[in-house]
Parts: sequence; C-alpha cells; structure tokens
Amino acid sequence: MGLVQRVLEASGIPTVTLSLIPDLTRAVGVPRIAGISYPFGRPLGRLHDADGQRAVLRAMLELLPSASGPDTYVELPFTWPESPAQARNASKDLPPPPIVELLKRKPWLLAALYSGRIPQSES
Amino acid sequence: MIAPSGEQMAIDSYRFLDFASRQVMKAWAARQESGVIPFTPLAKPLSECALALLSTAGVARNDDLPFDQEGERRNPWWGDPSFRAIPLGTTEKDVRLYHMHIDPRFGESDLDVVLPMRRLTELSREGFVGPPAPTHYSVMGYILDPTELVEKTAPAIAERMHAERVDAAALVPA
Repeated sequence: MGLVQRVLEASGIPTVTLSLIPDLTRAVGVPRIAGISYPFGRPLGRLHDADGQRAVLRAMLELLPSASGPDTYVELPFTWPESPAQARNASKDLPPPPIVELLKRKPWLLAALYSGRIPQSES
Repeated sequence: MIAPSGEQMAIDSYRFLDFASRQVMKAWAARQESGVIPFTPLAKPLSECALALLSTAGVARNDDLPFDQEGERRNPWWGDPSFRAIPLGTTEKDVRLYHMHIDPRFGESDLDVVLPMRRLTELSREGFVGPPAPTHYSVMGYILDPTELVEKTAPAIAERMHAERVDAAALVPA
C-alpha cells in the first residue's frame, strides 16, 4: 500500500493513507499517514456504523491540508469496542490462506517469508 | 521507523493478528528503507478537492474479472498485482472481496468498512470535501513481490486518476 501511495504522490496527486500497522507503513516511507488500532478487514469501523466510519474518514482526510511535509503521522483516537481475541474470533471459521497451508506442510520455508527472499514458485 | 525498544506504540493493530504474522511483518518493517519520500502539497482547499479512494481489500465488481485466487493457490508466494476500477455508487450487492488473508464477509456486508464511497459522498454533501471522483479503485493487498504493482499497476491507477481530474486520493488498507 505504501509503495502505491508513493507512486500516486510522485505523479502529482496528494495522498493520505489509513494504516493498521503504521510502523510498517512508515518504514516504507509515505507522505501522510493516519494510524488506527482497528482489526484487519474493518479499517473504517464496525459494520453499518455510518457515524463511526464517517468520523474515521474525516479524521484521515484532515491530514491532506494539514501536512506540511512527508512522513506526517497522526494516531487516530478511536478505540475498537471488542478485545483483540473477540475481533479475531469473528473470523475463526475461515480457511487459512494458501501461504499458511504451505508453511504448515513445509515449515522451513518460513525463513523465506521472514527474510523477504521470496521464491518464484511454490517450493 | 520502529519505535525504540521498550517504547510502547500507541497504535498497535498487531494485537489483532496471530503471533507468526506479527513477527513476519515486524521483520519486514525493520528491513525497509524509505529513501526520499515524495510529497505533493494540496493545490486548493479540501472542500474543493475531488477525492478518489483506493482499497487493498481485493474488491471486484461481479461484472468484472475476479482477482486471481487460483493463481495464488497454485503458488502461495504470488498474489494478483492487478487493480479493479469501482464506479461511484457500487455497493456491497455488486461486489465480492478476493483477498484470502482477511475476512471478506465484513466488506461484503458493508462495503464502506473497506471502501467508504457512501461516507465520502456524505462528507462531500456536508461541504467538508469536494465531489467524489466518478471512479474508485481496489488492489489485493497480499503482494510479496511488488515489482508489477509498482511498475505497472500504480502508474495505471495514477493515469486514470489524472484523466478524471482527481485532486487527492485516500488509501485504505484492509
């Protein structure tokens, strides 16, 4: 996401990103970033909570005019109403993604994922 | 940038992840080099800016090509690096989410939790921002090798945004 943001910004379009993991996004290096402690899959907030979602969108958009230079970072003051365990439980019945299945079969490949030296094919 | 050891980050959505994913993402963060970060100032007041949204939730319209999940199943190191255009007015009834690393049911129940086009329209009616762009965008966020994403997909999205006279873009992770 950060890499796409950099391309858009460099093309002349001012950008702001919301981020669930701002340390990673900031490490990539982006112009404007709003960090939020919300669970993956629901970055704007709870389902059908229009007021809450609008508040998050408004807060991130405020960075567009307020930032005076790159790596402008704000931490949004919103709190998820459930514990992390409760939030994760909502998705417990989903099948794991293919990479997780692969690593279960070939756990030594975790080193490649960890190091970022990504193989060209399955193994 | 990583918080110095011992310092607690105020924003910590890692706690919503399992331990292994957390460790992998922290290792990636430690390896990044940001170099010169581009910066384009806003050219006019936000209330006059046409805004486009970009989601990484892998949203595709039902009348468009899905993101390639079969390709990722064949080679789990690969993720579909293409993008989809999502016209303003598209709702959860018109789309599916093809990101296998998040729970797609949230965005399929309420598209605004990942691509807040209705919320953007409301903020525009309030006068907080200018008109929403006619087109918004999605990519699928599980991309370990970003070469094609950076060299082809992102420039193509930028070109379409410029063609539609977009003044600013808001990116939403998933």
